Amino acid sequence: MASLGGSSSSSTEYIVRVPKNTSKKYSIMAFNSGDKVNCSSWTQARMERDMSNRRMYGVEETEEGAAGSEFGKKQREEARRKKFGIVTREFKVEDQPWILKVNGKAGKRFKGTKKGGITENASYYIFTQCPDGAFEAFPVNGWYNFVPQAKHRTLTAEEAEEEWGRRNKVVNHFSIMLQRRLREQERGPDDDDEEGEKGGKKKKKKGGRGGDLRIHDLEDDLELSSDESDSSGGEDGDSKPKKKEGDVKGKGKGKKKKKKKRGSDSEANEDSDDGDFEGLEVDYMSDESSSEEEVGEEKAKSNKEAVPKGIDEASESEEESEEEKQNEEEGKEEEEEEEGKKTPVQMKKKKDSSGESDTSEDSDIDGEAASALFMKRTPPKRGGGRGSGGSSRTGSRPGTPSIDSTSTSNTLRAAASKLEQGKRQVVGGSSDSPAAKRLKMESSSTAVTTQSPAPSGKSTPQPPSGKSTPSSSDVQLTEEAVRRYLIRKPMTTKDLLKKFQTKRTGLSSEQTVNVLAQILKRLNPERKNVNDKMHFYLTE
Amino acid sequence: MSEKGEVDLTGAKQNTGVWLVKVPKYLSQQWAKASGRGEVGKLRIGKNQGKAEVEFTLNEDLTMIDSLGNKPSGVQAPRDHPFTMQTVGGQTLAVFTETQSESSKERISLEGLVVQRAECRPAVSENYMKLKRLQIEELSKPVRLSQQLEKAVTTNYKPVANHSYNLEYDRKKKEEGKRARVDKQQVLDMLFSAFEKHQYYNIKDLVDITKQPVSYLKEILRDIGIYNVKGTHKNTWELKPEYRHYQGGEEEEKETDD
Repeated sequence: MASLGGSSSSSTEYIVRVPKNTSKKYSIMAFNSGDKVNCSSWTQARMERDMSNRRMYGVEETEEGAAGSEFGKKQREEARRKKFGIVTREFKVEDQPWILKVNGKAGKRFKGTKKGGITENASYYIFTQCPDGAFEAFPVNGWYNFVPQAKHRTLTAEEAEEEWGRRNKVVNHFSIMLQRRLREQERGPDDDDEEGEKGGKKKKKKGGRGGDLRIHDLEDDLELSSDESDSSGGEDGDSKPKKKEGDVKGKGKGKKKKKKKRGSDSEANEDSDDGDFEGLEVDYMSDESSSEEEVGEEKAKSNKEAVPKGIDEASESEEESEEEKQNEEEGKEEEEEEEGKKTPVQMKKKKDSSGESDTSEDSDIDGEAASALFMKRTPPKRGGGRGSGGSSRTGSRPGTPSIDSTSTSNTLRAAASKLEQGKRQVVGGSSDSPAAKRLKMESSSTAVTTQSPAPSGKSTPQPPSGKSTPSSSDVQLTEEAVRRYLIRKPMTTKDLLKKFQTKRTGLSSEQTVNVLAQILKRLNPERKNVNDKMHFYLTE
Repeated sequence: MSEKGEVDLTGAKQNTGVWLVKVPKYLSQQWAKASGRGEVGKLRIGKNQGKAEVEFTLNEDLTMIDSLGNKPSGVQAPRDHPFTMQTVGGQTLAVFTETQSESSKERISLEGLVVQRAECRPAVSENYMKLKRLQIEELSKPVRLSQQLEKAVTTNYKPVANHSYNLEYDRKKKEEGKRARVDKQQVLDMLFSAFEKHQYYNIKDLVDITKQPVSYLKEILRDIGIYNVKGTHKNTWELKPEYRHYQGGEEEEKETDD
């Protein structure tokens, strides 16, 4: 290089060469400076073309080979495409994006997309300085913009839309992903065709929701087999948070029911908006509306669902009361369920063991499967939770799933409640209105629960049959009182419940149901069928 | 192979700095004409009152601009090109290369990072203006040109039938002759082997394969196959279920008793 000493400037001259015969093709790898990429910190890197866009010629066609193929099908297909002018763009490997993995499996991942048009009007050259001082210029072949790929879990499009709809109601945003994860955990073990059908995403969504807190307000959830319920529960779960927040429990149930249907069968039904079900299910507002059978059904179902469904989204504590279904072995009789104000819930629940069909809303629920599943025990025991849930219509259902009294259910329930609790704690603030009530309910029902290891605070385990001591500090709901009533005249569980209204006894509906169930168990009254309804009576 | 995809990071580790220079199209075209070792010009880097000045001077022998069609135009490329220096901020640019050698081992290596961006601008001069005008002229020419012919074109259509096509057709017909019926057994063998390859066949294709007259072939097909107006369009023939054996097995055992 020649040095020319200038007057006020000093300059050096370098020769510029453009090597002709390099087999190397130069490309630019562009990172956003915000990503703070430091190439010198890379220990190892791998880069490959992303071939995911390649459509194998034969793959999209019908299978080749003997069966199912036609002679000359390929040519005919191609001729057809040409006739219609369909031009499929050729798959050029050089134009495909790059996948760059830095520092192995645990390191970062980048995707580099080719930027078009850089060689159209001007050429880029890379000037490097050689040891001999001269510059060598290499033309740039391609420009790739590399963006980092997220490793953390993200919401799918559908989930994102849902959460968007809830954004005004959800306070704790961290719980969103947590719940999703828990849901997936639940879903994981129950793999189902249904889930498979809906694809991975949906599966997660449904399963996750169903798995975590199986609050099955709707009998629909219970009706399906456990697998199905997973999916349906998942769907319900989806709808639940959406609807739960603002809606009355009854409404929520209606929605869930619909969702469940959707989950189980067709995906035709859309998620309804919050206000869609405003006018529905007015019938189920009253506690007494549920029939024995329905109660029974729900019980059966809830029992069936047991643990996997035990967990639902924290915000849907109300739904949890549906978990009563899980308690198959509750000591409670059908009466309890009836008493329980599970009306709306029960209504929705699937068929009962006695084979009665659910009320209108659940009519769509397929009773067969449910009865088959849940039929094994005698009257389905809806947990007391359901009852309590029933009483507190307005979304104040304590999230206490009614836990079975049986040992198996206990374990399941324990697990379920644990998950619940975890969820609950996370989602503490997510539901506004139900929250306070829920807590109140939960605390009151805690006393009633025995088996479930529910922590004092959030999850409300269902009162195991016979074990929990009714926390009824009130005078009304005692064995004596029940005995008195039954001696006087035969009553249905519903009637009995009417006598011990929550307002007077101070118990939550769920508790009332539980307690009543226990009492009845103790009393062991005689039954008589009057007008197609099961009445209890005592003769002393 | 594990070799493929592994990125050679020596350039990154050494923090080799390179310049990314945007060069006008005509200049890169001239550079492509360089001979020998590829020397194209000189780069002068100077510090003038604290500011770095970079200028590229094109070699004399590379200044001949070729117009379209590789004819030398009268225009000369400008020789002086000052560089406009820019910063790389906002993006981190790295340079990687792909080497494809004959042994089909494609290696990717990171050459370095871009430390400076520059634009090569031609110094405005008479030469440059002429060059630009030449470019504009070439671009403004229409792609399609209407031309008037003096004589009518008489070579396209002749009033007689297309000889070459006709001859070929006649020859084919003669060579093939009428399709002769061969033994039914043979035909069946041919059919079975054909159906081994594909399940559905068009009657025309079968005629092609077996070289049998259509009516004869159809009779045989009626025996062993079914003609379905399938949902997937076209009416195709397929073997009867009892003759089928599509698990990748052979069909030889399917024999027909006439």
